[in-house]
Amino acid sequence: MTIQLTERMRAWIEAMGCHLCVATPRGVPFVTLGRYASVTGDDEVAFALAQDEYAVISPALSANPWVAFGVSKQGGIRASFQFKGIGRAVTEGPLFTDIATVARDVQGIETYAVLYVKVSEIYCTKPGAEAGQRLDMLPPDEVCEWEKQRWKDIPHKKS
Amino acid sequence: MVKFTDEMKEGLRVPGKGGSLVYLCTSSLDGKPNIAAMRFVATHMEDKILIADMFLLKTKMNIKENPEVTVAICHPLDEGRWWAFRGKAVDIEYGFPRDFDWYGANATDILNEWGDWNKSEPPDEVPPDIVFPKAAQRGVVVIHVEEAYSIEPGHAGEKIL
Repeated sequence: MTIQLTERMRAWIEAMGCHLCVATPRGVPFVTLGRYASVTGDDEVAFALAQDEYAVISPALSANPWVAFGVSKQGGIRASFQFKGIGRAVTEGPLFTDIATVARDVQGIETYAVLYVKVSEIYCTKPGAEAGQRLDMLPPDEVCEWEKQRWKDIPHKKS
Repeated sequence: MVKFTDEMKEGLRVPGKGGSLVYLCTSSLDGKPNIAAMRFVATHMEDKILIADMFLLKTKMNIKENPEVTVAICHPLDEGRWWAFRGKAVDIEYGFPRDFDWYGANATDILNEWGDWNKSEPPDEVPPDIVFPKAAQRGVVVIHVEEAYSIEPGHAGEKIL
């Protein structure tokens, strides 16, 4: 199924950053913050990670590329989604520089690695009957409509 | 053995009482991670984090096959709560033997005090477009914390417990 992050999802991800969760191949989870996030495609998000932040997840990520993430701060309640996908870390080249430059200018982050996550699964995490509802199985237009029926708040991106 | 600080005990409570929204991170046994925000949170003894099993699905499945979890503060982070706690979890559900023990935490004690959490600490601070219409608690997730590390920028990964 085609995945397109909605305008509201994009806004929350970019405004708040995300908590990134990876796991070892035997299932030990680790969490780090992706303070600067940029939606780089319909189904792709890039996170600028400082060296210490990357070091928390690097051993697990190098052995198991799955990444789950949720929006940080108020987004944990207002943006009730979980995103999952395959991550790859980039430490040089234009894919690194493009994100690292903006992350430094906007948030002062000295980026060591840029983590690109290709989102393949989106879940609703709103508590109640819809908790766990898988949204990426719906066509993108229906996901947009589903979301608009529930929430319309869109945060401003950090500048 | 870890021992929570007073600040951690303050922070690991429901948001309406000055606590925090937390992310409970689990994984399937073959390494597929899962992250879900939790509002009903408390500490028990000096090294246990409790979270209500209210609408858990994948989290619950993961814990049943793999007890390894991480709990990280989601909000508010800016109050110095840059904490991630690693440990082993069990979901003590109604129907467990009442004398079930998880690293010193007793099922009867847990369910008696936190088994009807929505009644004792209702989610009054949760916005109406987010809050659930009816609570449906099935148990309490008990996390035996074995270590904690920082997620603070510049100090991420540093051991704090």
